[in-house]
Amino acid sequence: MSETAVKKIFFRPDRSLLTPFNITVGIIMFIGLILTIMRFTGGLSAVTNLDDNYPWGLWIGFDLMAGVALAAGGYTTSAACYLFGMKRYHSAVRPAILTAFLGYALVVFSLHYDVGRPWRLPYPIFYSPGTTSLLFEVGLCVALYLTVLFLEYSTAALEWLGLKKLRNIIYKLTLVLTIFGVILSTLHQSSLGALFIIAPSKLHPLWYTQYLAVYFFISSMFAGLSMVIFEGSLSHKYFHDKMDETYLKEHDGLVLGFAKGASFIMAGYIVIKIIGIAMDNNWHLLGTGFGIWFLVELLGFVALPCFLYAVGSRDKNFSLIKKASLITVLGIVLNRLNVSLIAFNWYLPLKDKYIPHLGEIGLTIFMITIGIVAFKFIVTHMPIFYEHPDYKDSH
Amino acid sequence: MVKGKMKFRWVGILIIIFLISTYCIGAQVFAKLSKDESKSRADVITIDTLKVFGYLEKPEVTFLHDVHTDALEKQGKDCLACHLPKSNSIPGVFKEAVAGIDPLSPKFKRLEDTARKEVMDIYHKFCIDCHNDMGAQKLETGPVTCGECHKESKTVSSRQPAGMDKNLHFRHSKAREKKCEQCHHEFNEEKKELVYVKEKEGSCRYCHLENPKEIPVYAKDSAQISKLSMKEASHLDCISCHRKTIAKEMDAGPVKCSGCHDAEMQAKFKKAETIERMERKQPDVVLVSTGDKLPDDGRLGNVRMNAVAYNHKSHEESNDTCRVCHHASLDKCSKCHTLSGSKDGDYVKLEKAFHQIGTDKSCLGCHELNQQDPKCSGCHVFMEKGRKQADESCLKCHENLTPDMMNLVKSGDNTALAEKMMKARSTASETYPDDDIPEKVVIKDMMDKYQAAELPHRKIVNTLMKNISDNKMAGYFHRDKGTICQGCHHNSPVSTKPPKCSSCHGKPFDENELLRPGLMGAYHQQCMTCHKEMKLEKPAGCTGCHKEK
Amino acid sequence: MSVSRRKFLAWMGGAGLSTAFGTKAYAASNKQFKGYPDTMGVLHDTTLCVGCRSCEDACNKVNNLPQPEKPFKELSVLDKTRRTDSKTFTVVNKYDNSKEPKNPVFRKIQCNHCLEPACASACFVNAFKKTKEGAVVYDASVCVGCRYCMVACPFNIPAYEYDKVLDPKVVKCTMCHPRLLEGKLPGCVEACPVEALTFGKREDLLKIARERIRKYPEKYVNHIYGENEMGGTSWLYLTGVAPEEIGMREDLGITPAPNLTSGALAVVPMVAGLWPVFLTGAYAISKRKEKIAAEEQAEAVSKAVAETNTAAEEKLAKALEKAAKEKEAAIQKEVKKALEEAAAKAQEEDKEEDA
Repeated sequence: MSETAVKKIFFRPDRSLLTPFNITVGIIMFIGLILTIMRFTGGLSAVTNLDDNYPWGLWIGFDLMAGVALAAGGYTTSAACYLFGMKRYHSAVRPAILTAFLGYALVVFSLHYDVGRPWRLPYPIFYSPGTTSLLFEVGLCVALYLTVLFLEYSTAALEWLGLKKLRNIIYKLTLVLTIFGVILSTLHQSSLGALFIIAPSKLHPLWYTQYLAVYFFISSMFAGLSMVIFEGSLSHKYFHDKMDETYLKEHDGLVLGFAKGASFIMAGYIVIKIIGIAMDNNWHLLGTGFGIWFLVELLGFVALPCFLYAVGSRDKNFSLIKKASLITVLGIVLNRLNVSLIAFNWYLPLKDKYIPHLGEIGLTIFMITIGIVAFKFIVTHMPIFYEHPDYKDSH
Repeated sequence: MVKGKMKFRWVGILIIIFLISTYCIGAQVFAKLSKDESKSRADVITIDTLKVFGYLEKPEVTFLHDVHTDALEKQGKDCLACHLPKSNSIPGVFKEAVAGIDPLSPKFKRLEDTARKEVMDIYHKFCIDCHNDMGAQKLETGPVTCGECHKESKTVSSRQPAGMDKNLHFRHSKAREKKCEQCHHEFNEEKKELVYVKEKEGSCRYCHLENPKEIPVYAKDSAQISKLSMKEASHLDCISCHRKTIAKEMDAGPVKCSGCHDAEMQAKFKKAETIERMERKQPDVVLVSTGDKLPDDGRLGNVRMNAVAYNHKSHEESNDTCRVCHHASLDKCSKCHTLSGSKDGDYVKLEKAFHQIGTDKSCLGCHELNQQDPKCSGCHVFMEKGRKQADESCLKCHENLTPDMMNLVKSGDNTALAEKMMKARSTASETYPDDDIPEKVVIKDMMDKYQAAELPHRKIVNTLMKNISDNKMAGYFHRDKGTICQGCHHNSPVSTKPPKCSSCHGKPFDENELLRPGLMGAYHQQCMTCHKEMKLEKPAGCTGCHKEK
Repeated sequence: MSVSRRKFLAWMGGAGLSTAFGTKAYAASNKQFKGYPDTMGVLHDTTLCVGCRSCEDACNKVNNLPQPEKPFKELSVLDKTRRTDSKTFTVVNKYDNSKEPKNPVFRKIQCNHCLEPACASACFVNAFKKTKEGAVVYDASVCVGCRYCMVACPFNIPAYEYDKVLDPKVVKCTMCHPRLLEGKLPGCVEACPVEALTFGKREDLLKIARERIRKYPEKYVNHIYGENEMGGTSWLYLTGVAPEEIGMREDLGITPAPNLTSGALAVVPMVAGLWPVFLTGAYAISKRKEKIAAEEQAEAVSKAVAETNTAAEEKLAKALEKAAKEKEAAIQKEVKKALEEAAAKAQEEDKEEDA
């Protein structure tokens, strides 16, 4: 099949633009644009509830912290496939890389809203590097990793564009890029947690530990795996027609394999979380309100899906696995929000606590929508769920 | 498999029931707590008796004693409803006061703490039965379930220690017609009985310790230390005597907790108009000297500090109890506190017994505590505590002796010497004449922002003089005319023309004078701290002193 | 943390990719940076503070800050606990006094100018600097506005201009650094009428504080707040009640902020150094596995082929043998037809061979 033929199949001139999906997206985009204008004409106070006690709000807690963790599917899948020889998951790599790329791009995009002077975002790397800061490390790694993801993803775009030579050059870099991707992910996933190590007095002792970096890294692994499963199940529903035989054939095996892997990693995570409590001797805090909240997070959103994953992968129960992946994804979001917002400044009275502004929520939805639209566009146009006929068996 | 599922379901249901019931019980308890119990009372008794047998399974019980006494009284019941009579095991003299009435064991419905189970059963049986009975009679009653008694309580105990001060002692002694033996006793080891020894009376607390298990080192060998704690002894004997007096329908002391231990009630105790001095052959004046023997040459002050004439009588007048100074026995200080320290004196040397600061038992310590009176603390707050005393202040007590006195020293008549020294003492009655005291001092240092501040200098001096005029001790220590000036005009010799503040205080934060405030700081610290200490309301705010421009 | 003590990145080669290398040099050693020699500071004696707000007024004027709603003479403002914000570098708060309920305690709040500031350690563009005079100063010209400094500050001091669009700044007390350079006192210190604020060399301030505690042990808590908190601060506090009671946290520890993160930073070069090795190793192992698998497969195939061949040969041999026997029998039985029969057999053999 030639390139034009592929294009013909996926461009449908006869389809109406006024689908419910398009209308919803349109409304969200419109609101997003208005909020964007408000943000960049009225300052942060116009669209956020950030204050001097809570300099970081939903955009950091959800868009950055949770976003980066959920985009971990990129490095986990590519590492599994290319480095650990799980070739049978090959077809899952591209969707995962695409999700990760879009995720990181949106993280960086939403950062432009959050920081005071977004045009200075390159300063830490090119102008005045503050190397003692963990945020510097995060920034550097995210910037580099975004580049890596872009390159990894670009093969799909280049195939679509028909730039065969360039595509082949980049394709040869796959191994190097994957290794870099894993290094960079390890560093910044963990550093996101380590950001809070500097504030022992502000983060609740149950969440604050010197192991924060390790917790964030380990949890990013199962977050990534769960996100691949979760997003795969969604894609199956909506983009089934875009998937080729190989993808469909490999998908079930991938889900089972990832569920098993996630289950093991989560079990390990629970163990190290408990070790963390033991190290700081924080048992007595488990009886407090925050302690119960901590247990809800650990038992309800880690132990439970861990168990469901194990059962699901044993019984080949895909719907159970899907449910588990959803709980895990929510659990990761909860964990990141706990560390950055809920258990942060835990000693402040309730009236001084941060509650997100509608503008913050609106712009967060705006970001997610952009992501979905971009994802939809790319998977409908580029060889993500199927292999480009020109490059069959090239891996 | 089905069976397993059923099991899980039942476990789940049970857990839910458990959680709901825990929540409900908790809410109930909480509602109750927040409703009625946030007051402080003097009759709070915490029942944690089982602690003597080890751990407590449930929270300790907060018991309001007077509430129970009142409720029982309404039903015509008395103490015997809960407390068992306990005849005194040691025979002795003071029985007359409590003759005919058995002292009651302070323990509830028992004489001894026998065994965990038994004690627990006593409480459970009698408390719950009584509450049930009263409930059956439709009377206001107490709780009957575990959680209602065994719970955290918000009632705070405001129990004040009760003590026999001079006033109470006088009123008791008058009521008992000076029959000291009705209360005072000591233990005769040979006869194994309590005897009364005239003029050897002491405080109850010398033998009845706060906690008989913690006997201080110096009293370890004393046969007089009783097994009864002060708490037990007083509740056995005081209350018995009061009950007996009540039975005779005479004016009697309190029997309820709040009667003795409530601060408000204590304030309402009748005050005798004139309190007669206690009669125990104590001296009026004492010559406090180190050791009994004088050096051979008969000269005092050669190798030791001059002896101090001590006005025992006036110190009696100004203190509530003998125990203030005589903290362990009514003997002279040097009996236990020897020059080089001994076990009997807990190794507190004689010098320390007189000069230790930070305690109310030594001369200096007690005098320093008196300086915290708002009348005094305005000046004294600036003075370093525990400083090395200047020679002149030593001489305030260790006076130089006149030739007459030296003769008395040689004759060895210590009492006469002490009396003579006492007579020679003078107290402050006045300071410099008004003409020497500037009426006003005008401070012009903040003229850029305000009008000049006027310091009513003479008025301040007069107020300070008035403050010490009715205080014998203060009068004695401020007897020199210039002493009172030193409160403000510190760190310079006494003079009618002391240096101005600005001659020492100037630029702030001078590296060469790290500890010396600048002029503005010096004024404000001195004036404001003094006013605060003396609890003066005026002048308030900046414009109280500095009028607006 | 001083700039001179900062270890800068060692940029790793290769495709311009780099990793943060090295971290605070003394993180793991037992050395402690105790501030520049002769660094300045302020001693705040809370027992002397009368809550007159003169310092707030002076700070406002010195820094050209907007006038607050209520004038500085209005003391009812003290009834509410306040914190520093983008328009106030310092506030005085009133606290109940557990020792003497009638005399509330006042405490001034402003940047404590840590010896090793958390904000400077956290800033990813080096916008904060601890000067040798003692002040921690902020450079708005590089600030990106990430507000990590505000997250990091254990004393909750830096505030942010959330309402500004183009030039929002982080805002905090500068210890009047420009005035210090001119030889003047910080505005608040100069204005304090009771010298509850003492300006001087930090070493001297510690001496003064110790001397005051020694002289009036019953007046002061035997603790100079800021001497060791978070590694030490340039502002020091003397209190008459437990610092916790007047809003100063006693659970901050004595570890300077940079030391808290040094462990996490130290891992970075290790990950950057070891991960490629591990990952390439993992890749090599999986490749080798594939190769072995492929070899084994090939071997198995050839073995299978060989086995098939052997079987075929055996069959052939047997068939030949059988044929020979049958031949013999046939010869013995039917000599006459032998020639014809033999021709037919030969044909069959040919067929078998073809198969």
